[in-house]
Amino acid sequence: MSASINKTLLGITPIALFIALWQSLVSFGFAPVTLLPTPGSVFLRLGQQLLTSDFLHEIAATLFRLFAGFGIAVVLGVTIGLAAAVSPAINAVVKPLVRVLAPIPKVALYPALLLILGFDHASKITLVAADALFPILLSTYYGASMVEQKLIWSAMAAGTPRWQILFKVVLPAAMPSILTGCRIGLVISCIVVFLAEMITSTDGLGHMLVQAARTFQTVDMFVPLITISMLGLILNSLLHGLRTYLLRGFPEV
Amino acid sequence: MITPRALLSKSAPLLACIGLLCVWQVASMRLETESFPTAWESLRAVPSILGDKESLVNIGASLRRMAIGFSLAVLFSIPLGLLMGRLKSVASFFNPLLMIVYPVPKAALMPIIMLWMGVGEFSKILVIFLGVSLPIIYHSFQGGKAVEEKMLWSGAAMGLSAAQRMFRIVLPAALPEILTGCRTGLVLALITMVTSEMIARQSGAGNILFNALDMAQYDTVFAMIIVIGAMGIILDAAFERLRFALVKWSQPRHDMPLSFT
Repeated sequence: MSASINKTLLGITPIALFIALWQSLVSFGFAPVTLLPTPGSVFLRLGQQLLTSDFLHEIAATLFRLFAGFGIAVVLGVTIGLAAAVSPAINAVVKPLVRVLAPIPKVALYPALLLILGFDHASKITLVAADALFPILLSTYYGASMVEQKLIWSAMAAGTPRWQILFKVVLPAAMPSILTGCRIGLVISCIVVFLAEMITSTDGLGHMLVQAARTFQTVDMFVPLITISMLGLILNSLLHGLRTYLLRGFPEV
Repeated sequence: MITPRALLSKSAPLLACIGLLCVWQVASMRLETESFPTAWESLRAVPSILGDKESLVNIGASLRRMAIGFSLAVLFSIPLGLLMGRLKSVASFFNPLLMIVYPVPKAALMPIIMLWMGVGEFSKILVIFLGVSLPIIYHSFQGGKAVEEKMLWSGAAMGLSAAQRMFRIVLPAALPEILTGCRTGLVLALITMVTSEMIARQSGAGNILFNALDMAQYDTVFAMIIVIGAMGIILDAAFERLRFALVKWSQPRHDMPLSFT
């Protein structure tokens, strides 16, 4: 018990040090307040903003794009990954495509998406989905292709039909790997949705940052950054909770 | 003697490229909007970009920034990650901070960094450095953690000092994992490079891309996308070669690139 408290304390130290450094930079006059607002004023503004409906509206817009993109990526990634692991024919098509598409920086595709899909939600959601897709697809593929052959044999010996093996054996066995991929995909979604909103948008957290930067409101520039970091943390811990729920009974992974 | 099958599997990525370009061609011919040029038109615009001296200088500058940021991140992150992997206290010291920093888009720090450091080289390199560091730290951490204790014990029994054990045992043992992190970092460096140049419109590949978009030179936009995409694919393939040379002993477990882990 005390070990875990110690660990938490140790973990909080660098964050506290970071904030202290930030504060001292301002208060000892190394950085003018106009360029670097005090942490107190930033968090105060964050607190005030959280009570306004405008700000909540921006968060909702960002979250909507994030979830839509991430959801599409999860569905497509898991489906294609499983299919590629199970069927050699699909594998032969998917593998070279992934080799080519995965290392392309997807942000560079954003102008094309803008031109084709317009400036609305669709282009941003597509960008998020395209970026989050590959980690999920790849980890599903590896997870599913590493399933122990014995498990499949025993299921077949027990008389499970072939297509049910996919859902009853392969999918659960690949679950830890799939969830790891989802976690990476989630972080990437957070990053990408923010960037897309910075490039072109009329709402959302990224837009707030750009707007604040244009008017040199430094305090307001920090607020969306802290918000997206918090959102990332919250979503991550939600996913972690889902993972412990789904993987109950699994050996420690 | 090359069998047809081996030839097919060798040329599969190339075939995939051609297939994608064909899909693009058909799609744009179907849509027939001015803002979506066909693959052929865009490909024809590529030589005019690569032939232009100014844009070549720009792309070169981008690549140089990327190389500097990437190397600095590698030099900084691998020791930190390995230390975190070997020492529990270091890991629990840094982990929460990294957890907070991870979902922050590094390129979004660009406007703030620009306020402090100006729009010069330094801010862009700093942003790339920040973007690349995290995956490399994470993977070095995982790699360092997974080193077998027995090897370290035998090393200690043979009289290696702690620093020597770090260099002679932990670093090589964690190398495959570290290189996976570097590969992810490479793609991230390219992404951060493009976005940072897009935000600080001054020079570079990202600048050409988004300026062309603003000026409605659609074939340049798509040609630039091809150029940046090709950069990603080439860098990734080159890195894979390097990785193979460095860690021949560790069979590549994955036959698909495990970017972004």
